[in-house]
Amino acid sequence: MRKEKFDLFGFWPYLIELFYMVKISKAQNAALEKVNSQAWDYTRFRKIDGRHPLQTSVEDFAVLYKTRQRPGGKLAFFNFDFAKELGLIPKDHPEEMSEQLEEAIFYSFGIIIINEYDVENKVKIPEESIHQYPSMATRYLQMQHPDKRGSSSGDGRSIWNGTIKAEGKFWDISSCGTGATKLSPACNINNKFYQSGDPSISYGCGMSELDEGLETAFFSEILHKNNLCTERVLAIIEYPSKLAITVRAHPNLLRPSHFFRYLKLGNVRGATQVLEYYIDRQEKNGVYKDVPKNKKERYQYFLKKVCDDFARVTAQFEDEYIFCWMDWDGDNILMDGGIIDYGSVRQFGLFHHEYRYDDIERYSTTITEQKSKARYIVQTFAQYVSFVITGKKKSINSFKRHPELTRFDRLFEEYKDKNLLKKIGLSCQQSEYIFKHHHKLIKEFRKDFKYFERMKSKNGPYKVTDGITWDAVFCVRDVLRELPQMLLRRHEMIGAEEFLEVAKSNYATAADVKVTQYKKDKINSFGHLYLEIIRACAQHENLEQEKILLEVVMRSSVINKYDRITGDSITTIIQKLINSRPKIRPDQMYNILQNFASYQTLIPEKKVRSEKKSFDPILNKMFKIVRDFREGL
Amino acid sequence: MVFYSGGDGEQNHTLDKELLRLCQNKSPRITFIPSCSFDGESDFQEFVDQYSSHKIYEFLYFPIDVPSDRVLQEEAFKSDVIHLGGGNTFYFLKHLRSSRILPRLKEFVKRGGILTGLSAGAILMTPSVATASIPDFDCDENHENITNLKAMGLVKFEFFPHYKNSKRYDIELKSYSKNIKHPLYACPDGAGIIVAKGVVKFVGKSFGFYQGQKFKLSFV
Repeated sequence: MRKEKFDLFGFWPYLIELFYMVKISKAQNAALEKVNSQAWDYTRFRKIDGRHPLQTSVEDFAVLYKTRQRPGGKLAFFNFDFAKELGLIPKDHPEEMSEQLEEAIFYSFGIIIINEYDVENKVKIPEESIHQYPSMATRYLQMQHPDKRGSSSGDGRSIWNGTIKAEGKFWDISSCGTGATKLSPACNINNKFYQSGDPSISYGCGMSELDEGLETAFFSEILHKNNLCTERVLAIIEYPSKLAITVRAHPNLLRPSHFFRYLKLGNVRGATQVLEYYIDRQEKNGVYKDVPKNKKERYQYFLKKVCDDFARVTAQFEDEYIFCWMDWDGDNILMDGGIIDYGSVRQFGLFHHEYRYDDIERYSTTITEQKSKARYIVQTFAQYVSFVITGKKKSINSFKRHPELTRFDRLFEEYKDKNLLKKIGLSCQQSEYIFKHHHKLIKEFRKDFKYFERMKSKNGPYKVTDGITWDAVFCVRDVLRELPQMLLRRHEMIGAEEFLEVAKSNYATAADVKVTQYKKDKINSFGHLYLEIIRACAQHENLEQEKILLEVVMRSSVINKYDRITGDSITTIIQKLINSRPKIRPDQMYNILQNFASYQTLIPEKKVRSEKKSFDPILNKMFKIVRDFREGL
Repeated sequence: MVFYSGGDGEQNHTLDKELLRLCQNKSPRITFIPSCSFDGESDFQEFVDQYSSHKIYEFLYFPIDVPSDRVLQEEAFKSDVIHLGGGNTFYFLKHLRSSRILPRLKEFVKRGGILTGLSAGAILMTPSVATASIPDFDCDENHENITNLKAMGLVKFEFFPHYKNSKRYDIELKSYSKNIKHPLYACPDGAGIIVAKGVVKFVGKSFGFYQGQKFKLSFV
């Protein structure tokens, strides 16, 4: 982790504000005029009213809380693009905030629960501020909870706002920071109900912070644009003391931990109900196709899907250097492998495979241990399906050799091979061809790739602000970007010293980049196999090798772009944005995020050329932060 | 040196041919330097598409607003042609300066390398980037607050790209030309200038502005 302090935005925001006022005020005024002159339909917001089918279709699934309007909020961010996808605003709605739209957002999401503390203490709440339907805080397993069985754990500071259907797809919507529920660890450890916002306790007070919300918004939007499955942020409402409500949505917000709770409690009825509900929703959303009607086959089908999803995302996390803390409880991840709760999620610049997050009571898994945790989740689902089918809970150990686990291992390796072929810069068809017809080539190449990717600094492990780490020393993404260009120009492999010069990061010491015979052999093998892959593609497509290399050069320059976000860069950027004065308006924040996410879209097919000749200083400063932190955590 | 005003591959076909004629190597090695790495890869893609139709494959992508390693830098300057992309002139100049590439580019031209530039890239080859600030209604934003507008000064004229033969452009350009010591050459998209062995040749309909006067330039 870097410790340098940046003071980049000091006076810039004033200039930016001026810039916005002068430069784009005309366009903004026109858009504002449009948004204000037309009577837009915001009634769809009112459909998100707390009701959700899970409240009635699955027993003991949630604790229901009445909600009331929470005064004093200001909109900090609104995702116009996502709101259109959810059908909350019309497709042709200008990306400008209007009073009516703001009101609709506040009404549906600017709410707080009336919790046990409020009831016990007879806190006076104006009747007219109370919403008609209650919202649910869902119950799920959480390892940091004392009972470890899920009898009293779950959403400690979140509620599910409801569900909405748009373009044939159902979406779940939930909000974080809506008050303290009785499912929080603090409530159960200290055996008392907390007032929402109680300053004597931090995590159990039911609040969330603005920076958390914005980090989630930025991170999730970028990962979404890069084809990763994730929750996304619809809106952030800011409250005094930098608190906020963050509204998130996903087509299905169930986590493995929602299921595992029933398994731990031995509740077969609940286990069956939640399983049926999940399969049904996936089917309705078109994610599960041709689901068998027979119950046993239906549940086996589900298990296969879970195995597929977790093998795919775990390989993807590893290859994109995404640290997502998975554990036996199945918290911190969605059922379809989507990312949720960005609190500990990071994207590393290099393969820092020794990093562990320090969660006070325990250290997290490392990025390479994610695979065994995901595998364990699949194993638990094998146990779960058996439990639902037979009504008997067998020991988890009796599923150690379940065929789905063998399949998981195979799929994981296959996804890793395919991911690397794409990372090289081959097209989908080329990747598929090499995978099918020259599998040995990519398997062998992956060994050499892994050798450099996983090499650690001779300096050893050390503490960072939120955990421990041991620096990786090579950036193999840089090699994948530059090597094809060198091969194209020189028609031969670059030398060992040059290879290490390209690959070395700022963490590398002289000893790390010393050319040894072993490294030399590895570099030669890397180059040889790389060229073999290119040759195989050229032969298959009956093209000159140079043409394939040129294609790879162009694709790889996008995929392996020099500046890619890391967790540290996002954290730093968000702090700067929050501290900007004058404050950034919600529609400005949206524009900044859109531009930033577009710059961080590293998929050649999705790369859209910007019409802009230049970017405002705030974006340029953000780019610089990304560069400065690009090798970090 | 080749100065491209702007436009697509089709519009610049004649200029491209002239450039290839200048190259002694039939399969020249070309380095592309984007003005900004934000959209650099897309610009590179367009650039490659434009030249690969001439059966050229040896390209190098060399963004200078991000740090680069020694290997890539050395390879870039071994090229037959270095192309400076279009974009924001001030941002480009700032990063060419901070990456210390400017003297190396001058050195490259001195030892016979062919330097080409499109729009902002072309302006940077002239004595000053001041033309990027005109006309008022269509100029580059100077977010970088560049006050020293001195560019490479490889030629003794200034360059105005994306010129439109209209009164409102002419008023601004005539006025500007009164205050500079060199002539100002204005080219519409698809047109450009070739400078080889001290000879200046115009490709496409181009105009000159000097001491407040506008004049037509003979072109091929």
